[in-house]
Amino acid sequence: MTETLTFLWPAFLVAVCLVGIHAYFGIQVLARKVIFVDLALAQIAALGATVAFMLGHPAQSLPTYGYSLAFTLLAAVLLAFTRAWGTRVPQEALIGVIYVVAAAAAILLIDRAPQGAEHLKQILTGNILTSGLNDVAAIVPLYAAIGLLHWLLRGRMGGTGSLVWEFVFYASFGMVVTSSVAIAGVLLVFSFLIVPAAIGVMFSSSLAYQLAIGWIVGMVTSAAGLAASFAFDLPTGAAMVCAFGASLAVAGLLYPFLRGDRRHALRIAIATVRWVIAVILAGSAIQLAVAPRADQPLLDMIEAAAPSVRGLYFTHAEQTTFTEAGEFAERYRMEAEHLNDVEKSNRIEGVAFDDLRVARISSFLKSYGEMRKGEQFVMGEVRARARERVRWVVSLGLLALALAFAPLPWQRLGARTSR
Amino acid sequence: MVLRFAVIAAWLALLSPAFAQQRLQVVTTTTDLRSLTEAVGGDLIAAINLVPASMDAEDYQPKPQDILRLKNARMLVRVGLDYDLWVDKLVLQAGTRDLGRGGSGYVDASFAIAVLELRGMSVGPGDGHAHGSGNPHYWLDPKNAEIVTGNILEALARIDPANAARYEANRLAFLARLQAKLSEWEAKLAPLKATPIVAYHNSWPYFARRFRLDFVAFIETKPGVPPSPAHLAGIVKTMREREVRIVIREPHEPKRDVAFVADKAGASVVTLAASVGGLPQAGDYISLFDVNVEALKAAAAR
Repeated sequence: MTETLTFLWPAFLVAVCLVGIHAYFGIQVLARKVIFVDLALAQIAALGATVAFMLGHPAQSLPTYGYSLAFTLLAAVLLAFTRAWGTRVPQEALIGVIYVVAAAAAILLIDRAPQGAEHLKQILTGNILTSGLNDVAAIVPLYAAIGLLHWLLRGRMGGTGSLVWEFVFYASFGMVVTSSVAIAGVLLVFSFLIVPAAIGVMFSSSLAYQLAIGWIVGMVTSAAGLAASFAFDLPTGAAMVCAFGASLAVAGLLYPFLRGDRRHALRIAIATVRWVIAVILAGSAIQLAVAPRADQPLLDMIEAAAPSVRGLYFTHAEQTTFTEAGEFAERYRMEAEHLNDVEKSNRIEGVAFDDLRVARISSFLKSYGEMRKGEQFVMGEVRARARERVRWVVSLGLLALALAFAPLPWQRLGARTSR
Repeated sequence: MVLRFAVIAAWLALLSPAFAQQRLQVVTTTTDLRSLTEAVGGDLIAAINLVPASMDAEDYQPKPQDILRLKNARMLVRVGLDYDLWVDKLVLQAGTRDLGRGGSGYVDASFAIAVLELRGMSVGPGDGHAHGSGNPHYWLDPKNAEIVTGNILEALARIDPANAARYEANRLAFLARLQAKLSEWEAKLAPLKATPIVAYHNSWPYFARRFRLDFVAFIETKPGVPPSPAHLAGIVKTMREREVRIVIREPHEPKRDVAFVADKAGASVVTLAASVGGLPQAGDYISLFDVNVEALKAAAAR
């Protein structure tokens, strides 16, 4: 427990640093409507590093960093100049093209030198869990310098300035993204960039408040994502990205209540929830009636949560067969696990099994696998038959439930028929 | 420019049938199988591998040229066990029926191998493999080369019966050399018996069985999924408790995650090749083990 926590706090510190700078850049990026620019810049930097690698420079050396920076600056020039494009073709189109071409070009280069693949992956898929204090020490001075630069130029960074200021914006952003993507990966950096900024922009129109909201939201969400990753034993980066998605959803749900007619918002929210439930119920009803043997997500979920539900529509014989098959399947799994354990411990303990013994274990494992598959087939078949039998009754019931949940104007309908 | 290409193309067209008549063309999916095929075929065959050295064969994306390579080949040697599933589709596209499953030039090298870590259809917890057909890294047990070269010999003798005796002699000579080497490797790794080792990916069960090594944990729990904090903490704890000094990484695996774990537990990272060509010195099947054995020995001495 404490062991795990010692892993998480450096990751949290890194997240705080990244949120600090990315929330600011996110607000700028939203104002310029160049949402995916971070992906394009990161990919360009990775292409630069790949070129350096192909030319024989070791990874994480000064020349490699130089190539990376040069490519990023080139892309910054391109982005600054094409700002004027926006009138006819959205700049987002160019950003997308930069992204895919840089990615494809890197693949073409890697194809000639497969050792580069790991290198390229490392540039783009950091893992925040394995980042540490040395990463913090490396990024803090850079981010502080760039933050200071932007504060000094605060009047000119609004996105309406001249080409030079646009270039400065994209160049500094490129440097930030290049370092952060290597630490936290593309997905998480995109979340750091967009979600706190979007929530800030949603609830305030002054930059200072937007930043404050973004920072608080970013830190709280990062902490929540890390905690979830710890509590539920999940990969950290992916858990944090989902946490950011959830916090944006919560903010979106809260928005109409905090900024507008509360009663109206509540009415719409309730209607939406009722429609969603009605559609899920009706969809399940149709799925069960049309294809009773196919997956039934709703029924499967209910059965997984409360297996006793099966008693409602299984006959006694079916229930016995189903339970027995489940027990046998589990038994075969245990037997196979046991054999695997025996084989594994024999690798280092006692006299090594001869080839014949290993072959026998292997063939037993194969048989157990097949037998288990057979039992699982029986379980599926029993359930499918039971569902086929009750499909009309259950789907009619589900449809009725769906109608009851749907926010249809019943009173008006009733009034019209009685008239 | 165009003229140059035309000349080269004409030259290749002239050359390739003549070449094909001289030597039997064999395509293998991986470099390991190529090395073993060459050991049996000697100078009677010309073998090429589809997956470049040090690339992960499990997510290889075939190129248009690969279809051409299959079209010109009379024999295909594959790893099997769901390791190189993409080759089935490629054979269909090339339209070479002899190289498909059951064809005269088709060799599934895993045939008759005693497969380890079979877990039926389900994925066992924490072993880092999604293979329903067991762990596919069987070539990392030198003893399994006997079976693999046997499979290759059978197919070569079927396609080219006139030279069957020469293929057989080649194989026996190779196996004799391998046997001598195996004793040498076993002697070198004997001090490492039951030494606890952590690896990034579970590529090593066959290697571990042959050389009696103890792989206690794997950093990657499922292919392509980064480890969770609890899993990493568990590994570091195991490493401290069992005093693991060695963490194995393959050249295509993330340096940073491996270094992180090794650093926390005070172990050293050893880069091993799981395939021929994975490291520059591992040029063929025998030097693959030479390199790995030396690297492990050096790490244990540290």
